[in-house]
Amino acid sequence: MINRSLAKVLSFRYKILALIFVVLAGGLVLLPKYEKHEGISPEKLLSNAISPERYISTDELAHKIINQDPSYLLIDVRDEVSFDEYTLPYAINIPLEKLFDEDSEAYLNQDEFDVILFSNDNFQANQAWLLCNRLEYKNLRVLDGGMNTWFNTIINPSTPKENMPAESFELYTFRKAASMYFGVAYPEQVKVKKVKKIIPKKVIAVKKKKKLPTEGGC
Amino acid sequence: MGPLIPNGVIPGEWSYIIALIIGLAFGYILEASGFSSSRKLAGVFYGYDFVVLKVFFTAAIVSVIGLLYMDYLGYVDISHLYVHPTYLWGAIIGGVIMGVGFVSGGFCPGTSLCAVAIGKIDAMVFVGGILIGIFIFSELYQYFEPLYDGYFYGNITLMDSFDISPYWFVFIFTIIAIISFVVVDIIRKKRKTIFYN
Repeated sequence: MINRSLAKVLSFRYKILALIFVVLAGGLVLLPKYEKHEGISPEKLLSNAISPERYISTDELAHKIINQDPSYLLIDVRDEVSFDEYTLPYAINIPLEKLFDEDSEAYLNQDEFDVILFSNDNFQANQAWLLCNRLEYKNLRVLDGGMNTWFNTIINPSTPKENMPAESFELYTFRKAASMYFGVAYPEQVKVKKVKKIIPKKVIAVKKKKKLPTEGGC
Repeated sequence: MGPLIPNGVIPGEWSYIIALIIGLAFGYILEASGFSSSRKLAGVFYGYDFVVLKVFFTAAIVSVIGLLYMDYLGYVDISHLYVHPTYLWGAIIGGVIMGVGFVSGGFCPGTSLCAVAIGKIDAMVFVGGILIGIFIFSELYQYFEPLYDGYFYGNITLMDSFDISPYWFVFIFTIIAIISFVVVDIIRKKRKTIFYN
């Protein structure tokens, strides 16, 4: 037997369903809005950030530049003033605050080139890397140590001591050669024109011993 | 978490099997709710049966409200869902052709196959017509190609093109749906009752 009151309620079933719809849809409108998380998940970002895989050493970079490797793109994230003062060869300047400009995106968000970010040290380059990595930009690298390390290793390499292993001497030779490529001159490399010194002949007057007149002996 | 397959919760190889199961369930429910009857389907155009409009409108609202809630709660990332690309004039002309076919034949492609499965002869003729249409389209594809590939607007949604909050859009859409349900009920009551199966 059908319950009468239930039947009464059921006769309104379409109205009730319509009401549920309106309540649910209205609920969507009234829900407190929150900023949705963009980009990769925080866990992934953290694990990417911890991993040192993104670093490229100055030696590797020097090797790439000297061999005219076409597969990389150097991006200087320092401000324009520093960029104008000194930068790496063929670098493009994208200051940190202009990182997400429309013009910059074409350089950063692509998968044809390896993008190498650098600043004076790791700090700004890492910031840029972190921001871009979160947006899932690919092939991003950071120059380990930035311009400071570049200067200390490639431009002005320290001479190894005598008790150091052979590798450090090889490395030194490479760095020295690289620095010559980047325009550093070494004293021993500078050719000095040998000027023949004309030494004036000293005239030493040799006094001839006068032959003494033979004296009568005994 | 979701969508399940793109996020690797379910391996991609399962997608065909899942599609098969969903397809079977869809066909079963179409048949069970009387959608294999061309008279019932055509009723929406003659004003004696609006079940097509009610079912598809309700389905759209249920899924969009459900998806938005799941997106809000973080179970589904709505930006990862597939949005069908819009080829404007292709869609308009195709829609008109499909509508004419729907009125005259009494089936849409899905329901026609459903009706073939239970042995309706009119549906078999209809499916034959679909196949002829596919053949003609394929043979004359080079002439249709500019229309087929042109007027491309990308994977846009109504919310993008009207530039309003999806939540408000869904709310307004729901109100429109409920009003339309009431209106079509009034129209149906004014019509003389027609018996069919």
